[in-house]
Amino acid sequence: MIKLFKIEFRKILTYRVFWILTGLYFIFLGLGIFMAEFILNDWVNNFNKRFPIPMPHVTLYFFPDIWQNLTFFASIRYVLIFPALVVIILITNEFTNKTIRQNVVNGLSKRDFLFSKLQFILLLSIFVTIVLGIVIFFLGLSHSDAQQFGMMSRKFMFLPGFFIQILSYLIFAFFFGFLLRHTGLAIALFTLYSLIIEPVIYYVLKIPFLQPNNVSPYLPVNSVLRIVEYPSIPFLQKFMGITLQNSVSLLHCGIALMYSAIMIGIVFWLMDKKDL
Amino acid sequence: MKTVLSINNLSKRYGKIQAVDHLSIEVKEGEIFGILGPNGSGKTTTLSMVLDFVKADSGTFEWFEKRPSPEIRKRIGSVIESPNFYPYLSAVNNLKIIGDIKGIGYDDIDRVLKTSGLYERRLSPFRTFSFGMKQRLALASALLGNPELLILDEPTNGLDPQGIAHIREIILQVALHGTTIIIASHLLDEVQKVCSHVAVLQKGKKLYSGKVSEVLSVSDCVELASSDTDLLIKTISEHPKYKNHEKSNGMLLVYFEGETEPAELNEFLHMKGIVLSHLSDRKRTLEQHFLELLQENK
Repeated sequence: MIKLFKIEFRKILTYRVFWILTGLYFIFLGLGIFMAEFILNDWVNNFNKRFPIPMPHVTLYFFPDIWQNLTFFASIRYVLIFPALVVIILITNEFTNKTIRQNVVNGLSKRDFLFSKLQFILLLSIFVTIVLGIVIFFLGLSHSDAQQFGMMSRKFMFLPGFFIQILSYLIFAFFFGFLLRHTGLAIALFTLYSLIIEPVIYYVLKIPFLQPNNVSPYLPVNSVLRIVEYPSIPFLQKFMGITLQNSVSLLHCGIALMYSAIMIGIVFWLMDKKDL
Repeated sequence: MKTVLSINNLSKRYGKIQAVDHLSIEVKEGEIFGILGPNGSGKTTTLSMVLDFVKADSGTFEWFEKRPSPEIRKRIGSVIESPNFYPYLSAVNNLKIIGDIKGIGYDDIDRVLKTSGLYERRLSPFRTFSFGMKQRLALASALLGNPELLILDEPTNGLDPQGIAHIREIILQVALHGTTIIIASHLLDEVQKVCSHVAVLQKGKKLYSGKVSEVLSVSDCVELASSDTDLLIKTISEHPKYKNHEKSNGMLLVYFEGETEPAELNEFLHMKGIVLSHLSDRKRTLEQHFLELLQENK
């Protein structure tokens, strides 16, 4: 495993595209986390100007709700797609440069090649989760009073929930990369699917006469996003009738992990069957 | 002698094209084995299958008398089709990845870079290399760790004469150390100059295989004439290198296996009491011979 890590790490060490995209990801992630409260309150102010019943201002950064709030903002589609594109590029590059062939010819088994990519995904997910955990901890520390601090660990489970989100979303990208093999095609289809196609399918399936067997929440990307469905903001409940979760949706964790297992299985099967 | 590679009845079809057709080849230790054939004769497909990145439709192969496995591939250095490297990584980093995969460390990297004349450019990214340099890096990567077997697919393809000479020199040096080498090439001249054994492929089928000196030997053709043609035929067919003959315009065309000297022939016939009225050497070039081989099997 250390050997596979060394190989994978050397492949990205001097690859500028990787560092630029990863850098952009952390910038967007940071912006999302630190700007969320400001943007929401700006929206509340505008709302209050036009309507007689005032809406309360939003606070996101106190324990224990900060776990839920920040994992939510860290996992919106537009942010999560950055590391996914990194994964797709690193995989499809191996096909366009034919380096996967050379790796196999030199004595790497196809399985080990797949493991090296999965290991990279796992480590990236762990790294992002830890960084997010540290940010949440210090941000929460500086925004909580003594009583809130006492409840610090209550919603901690949202952090492992986020880990499953990013992990299963990156495995979805892994699947696209190995299925399509062409960088441009894989990026285009993955982005279209995540941001447009699945949301459209989601609403089509919600048409009333299809309701009895509504499978919308179980679509791949949707089930990932529903692990942390909403931030803990009281007005969502009051004004929009949304039921807020008290904990991570274990059902959707299970579904996301199931999708991951199926996709990994398909990729292993395909790689065994198809020529490189 | 140990068998390094044995291929049994290997076949591969791409749609309508039978790329490799029940091919069987055996390569022994220490041989420099040429796989010779025109473009599209199935050379690269064969190598792709035995190196496990293309699946065979049927047939089997063994390395070093064992079933193929990634571990065995670590003992083989290969250059396939085009040089495949990470374009944004330096030559050294590309070789380090191979060192990691093969589990042989980085100690040999400087040596192979020097052998291939790339040492000065070792820190430049692969994408900045000229085609010749890319080809040389591919050879360097194959030489890494002194593998027991070297597989080279068209190693001099697209190189200038100087580059070709350089690569051939490296190959011959490696061969001196007893390394087994398999070279796929469409250039007869290349196989002739470097190889000890050869298999000639066409449309995925093996036409001939054996020692280069036998398969690609110049089978001489000599024009003879004498007063008694029948006696001439009878006598010349006793010559140790005699292959066959045909009559044309009152002359006798006699084909020989391997090279013959006119003087030696004359002496041979004279000793048997035949006086020639005509003797003319009609050597065929190797190139003609190769084309004829392919022509006969169309």
